[in-house]
Amino acid sequence: MTAVFLGVRHHSPACARLVERTIDELRPAHVLVEGPAEMNPRLDELLLGHELPVAVFSHYRDGRRAATSWAPLCDYSPEWVALRAGRAAGAEVRFIDLPAWHPAFAERTNRYADAEVRYARATERLCEQFAVDSPDALWDRLFEAEPDEGVAERLDAYFALVRGDAEADAGDRAREAYMASWVRAAVAAADGGPVLVVTGGFHQPALRRLAASGGPEAVRDAAPGVEHDAVRGVELGTAPGVDLDAVRGMALGTAPGVDLDAAPGVELGADGWPLVPEPPSGADAGSFLVPYSFRRLDAFAGYESGMPSPGFYQEVWERGPQEAADRLLRAVVERLRARKVPVSTADLVAARSLTEGLTALRGHPRTARIDVLDGLAGALITDDLDGPLPWTVRGAIRAGTHPVVVEILAACGGARTGRLHPGTPAPPLVHDVAAQLDRLGLSGDPARAPRLDLTDPGDLERSRALHGLRVLGVPGYERTAGPAHGVDPVFTERWEPRPADGRDAALVEAGAYGATLAEAAAAVLAERAREETDAGALAAALFDTVLCGVSGLSAHLLSELGARVGVLTQPGPLGEVLSAALGLWRHDRVFGVARDPLLAAVIGGATDRLLWLLEGARGPGGVDLPRLRAVVAVRDALRHAPGVSGLDRSAAAAVARRVGRDAGAPFDVRGAAFGLHHVLADPAWAADGTADAVRAVALSGVEALGDWLAGLFAVARDEVTAGVRTNGVGASEGGTGDGARPVPEGAGSLVGVLDDVLCGLPESAFLAGLPALRQAFAFFPPRERERIASQLLARRGLRGSSRALLRTTADPLLIARAGALEDRVTGLLARYGLDRHGIGGTPS
Amino acid sequence: MTVRDETPAGPGVAGAGAPVQRPPAEVRYAGELAALRAGDRDPRPPGWELSLRAARRFVVGDPEAGISRKFVGNPSLVDRALVTLATSRGLMLVGEPGTAKSLLSELIAAAVSGDSTLTVQGGAATTEDQIKYGWNYALLVAEGPSTRSLVPAPMLRGMAEGRLVRFEEITRCPLEVQDSLLSLLSERVVAIPELPGADGMVFARQGFNVIATANTRDRGVNEMSAALKRRFNFETVFPIPDLDTELDLVEAEVARLLSGSGVQPPPDRDVLEVLVGTFRELRAGAGAKDGHGGGGDRSTAVMSTAEAVSVAHAVGVRGWYLRGEPGNASDVVACLAGTAAKDSPEDLARLRRYLEQQAGRRRTPQWQALYDARHLLDD
Repeated sequence: MTAVFLGVRHHSPACARLVERTIDELRPAHVLVEGPAEMNPRLDELLLGHELPVAVFSHYRDGRRAATSWAPLCDYSPEWVALRAGRAAGAEVRFIDLPAWHPAFAERTNRYADAEVRYARATERLCEQFAVDSPDALWDRLFEAEPDEGVAERLDAYFALVRGDAEADAGDRAREAYMASWVRAAVAAADGGPVLVVTGGFHQPALRRLAASGGPEAVRDAAPGVEHDAVRGVELGTAPGVDLDAVRGMALGTAPGVDLDAAPGVELGADGWPLVPEPPSGADAGSFLVPYSFRRLDAFAGYESGMPSPGFYQEVWERGPQEAADRLLRAVVERLRARKVPVSTADLVAARSLTEGLTALRGHPRTARIDVLDGLAGALITDDLDGPLPWTVRGAIRAGTHPVVVEILAACGGARTGRLHPGTPAPPLVHDVAAQLDRLGLSGDPARAPRLDLTDPGDLERSRALHGLRVLGVPGYERTAGPAHGVDPVFTERWEPRPADGRDAALVEAGAYGATLAEAAAAVLAERAREETDAGALAAALFDTVLCGVSGLSAHLLSELGARVGVLTQPGPLGEVLSAALGLWRHDRVFGVARDPLLAAVIGGATDRLLWLLEGARGPGGVDLPRLRAVVAVRDALRHAPGVSGLDRSAAAAVARRVGRDAGAPFDVRGAAFGLHHVLADPAWAADGTADAVRAVALSGVEALGDWLAGLFAVARDEVTAGVRTNGVGASEGGTGDGARPVPEGAGSLVGVLDDVLCGLPESAFLAGLPALRQAFAFFPPRERERIASQLLARRGLRGSSRALLRTTADPLLIARAGALEDRVTGLLARYGLDRHGIGGTPS
Repeated sequence: MTVRDETPAGPGVAGAGAPVQRPPAEVRYAGELAALRAGDRDPRPPGWELSLRAARRFVVGDPEAGISRKFVGNPSLVDRALVTLATSRGLMLVGEPGTAKSLLSELIAAAVSGDSTLTVQGGAATTEDQIKYGWNYALLVAEGPSTRSLVPAPMLRGMAEGRLVRFEEITRCPLEVQDSLLSLLSERVVAIPELPGADGMVFARQGFNVIATANTRDRGVNEMSAALKRRFNFETVFPIPDLDTELDLVEAEVARLLSGSGVQPPPDRDVLEVLVGTFRELRAGAGAKDGHGGGGDRSTAVMSTAEAVSVAHAVGVRGWYLRGEPGNASDVVACLAGTAAKDSPEDLARLRRYLEQQAGRRRTPQWQALYDARHLLDD
């Protein structure tokens, strides 16, 4: 009795070919595949004849947690090939892994993400050894570019090394124990016939050991008759200092703290096969087929992915590496020329010769993906780059990547999207949406235009459902009126649902994002948030989240939005995001998001980032109102959301203090920071340096003073006015009785100081600064301006209506200009002796 | 024509007796090069002293064969650079100052041609004479133009001898001087109209190519003419991506420099970590959450690994000679003021802002010490 273990990398054409070959040679009675075991009764569904990529989408919800995950399959997935070819060869094909809802998969959303990436030490060492940049390049070099002979042995050696270095987590161990029980059952059932086990290579060494330990069955290696230690010595043993026996011992021996022989918790059914765990009672769980796309499969586009560049590997799978390389070259050039990037024939020659040269230099028997990529980049980019080429590092592509690189990656990624066979049961989302619309009374007469009152709970629920559909891009749902942002005082919405082509198809497609409307919307919004770099779009995503009512659903969405605001560079738009979020966090009664953790994350992140940006603010004079509003938003966040993490009042006050004193900062920012510091650290305005500060700023000119005051009033008008009331009035009424030392002057003195400064100005300087000053005082409502005016009258010992001072019959600038004209006329008259004094003084 | 015979085996040997401060790569690594040459079985491009693979091993290292790793960076960059040089395009290395572009070009020239001294140093005053050829005017007046009175510059020699020519800081040359490379790179011939007959045309031999370097700070490659750009493949050299690698490199270099300066205690790894961490964040644009693309927040001063080494050296010297102990975080702050700021008040402000808002949040003792010493910036 034998079991053959094939350890594969998910989405690897080389591994897929190996699986196909092995099935062909072995003609196994049973093929066991890493995949959700609960799908076993429905394997026929998988083989209906879909256009790949498709994914097994699993969802789970109980009182405590909700999770969704995917197991994506494409034409060249080893798992897919095992299903397809195994079935064709007449074998019994089964998935043998735990269901996706099992706690072993907590934190994971992609079943076929690279497990070994989480254990990077060994791959790092191998990269160094083979002098390549990244694990993906290493993989290409060791497996994809190599001929198929001996690939099984190299895979074994590779994964033994990777596994040997890593300590599998509890989730991995539980899954391995479960899979091993299937292997034992299959070996028993095969009764001497061969059994093929296709799993992720990371699990393979442990699985082999576990399966053997559970019973007396003989377990042999993938390639009979090959001496494994010798292979290892040849292929990977070149690394000095790697004790291969030790590695092997570790890999196949016991991981610390695990009793491998126990294989806990796997019960066998009456037929001898392991039971598939049932979800706990009361929980809602299920698995469905959904269409998937290369874009979501691509490691450059997303997180937790498998191999990058699915489009390229599809070509490799279909047409072989050489033609794939040629077609990639052509695709990239076509894309670039379509974008009007000049690509000359000479560039093509250079790209081609570079690619071939690299293939030869690296000793690849055939052109590998990285050779093509490197060749294209070397020949087509004639600029300095801002960041390393994305394929030399692992992870998603960054914003601001060179356009040529972006096109190269897009061509590699491919645009293919899967399509399900029409006979496939619809994903749960379709049913969920239909049920919801039905329940909410939205599925009836499509011509009716629902007017929704958002303060009505029923209507709010309707609005959320409709917004969810809108966010998912399901055609036919258009809002024609409603609140545009978080603090928009509009409480009604008007929608026009109408029949639209492709609505059902779009829903099936959207079914890949979640089982319920809310879950799917949250997943789409998280994706949007990850891709947006613009503050406006980010704010829109944030508000859409609120509109859909899904903010509490996705921790991922939460962290994504919080992190995204941390990289915005313009204070103005960032301030708007902050104040909108803060407004909702504090006051929202409509959408039910007050004190929402998502908004708190945005508030914390945005405040932090704004403080950082403010301290670096530079630029010309003048008043930048959006930036001042951003400071106001910071003030409000610190004042009204003190419990939010990331907000530190004293640190913020220290920043404000420094900015206020920073001679290089624009005056409006300095004024605002001065105000912010006092609001935060000194609300009573006690130890007041306002007068000194005003005098100091006035030295830089009236315009600077105007800007400074605008900043101050924008942020701390209330506090300044409070000072006018308490100190100003209090001082005049109570007096001090101590002539030597006046009242410790509060902000009330601000008016006095300003009055002194302005009265001391020459007419021309005053006129020059007047617009800036007017702008500053525009922050006061008329009532407060009147109070200031009466103070001015009092200072001069005049009696009269302070209101009259504020009411001008014409534009003040015009009056000022008239005054200037009068001055000039007076001057001229005096010069020619025609003034009253002159005329009067001249005896006739 | 014949160009002046024999290159000297390197300035290191020329001035016999007096030790040379820094011998060229082919002298420093003469042993490794000889070993590689002896064991080289792979095909060599015409005119090359080593095969591509051996040249690659020379640069990225091969511990088994006793070849040290000389360039810390993406190995694929070295691959692309070498293959480019074997084709008809020149190689343009661009990047921030201090990213070891010149070192890489020196190593490659030493490996490929066995000689890294054919170098044109670009600058505002560079003329065509210094690139192609000039004249010995005494001989020119006495004998008229001849191969004897001709003074070949690196390009002419590289072409005649089939060697790699290095053109450092090419973007600092005036544009018209840069463009004098055009015909040379496409036609691969230099005409010397003053010389009669066959001597008047010098054709490039196999093995000739150009490695140019340009830094993105002084004057980027944007101004370079499209015609010239087309004749080069561009490779951007990045600062060391990995903190640990950079830290190791800085530590090794600083330890060497400090012992050279008579400082006894080796540098404190924790202090170096704070220093290198600060450099990396200012380089990437501090304040950005993921350490990337902080918008306009990037320091305009050069925050290269080389600069980190020199600051760490200064830190060690300061600590030892002022107090008789290893340099600490306050020395770092004091020395940073001179580097990170140089002459730009904006950079100083940026550094101050970094210390105030970012450094203080790290809870390790050395970061806290750095934060506590921030007032030293103002002194």
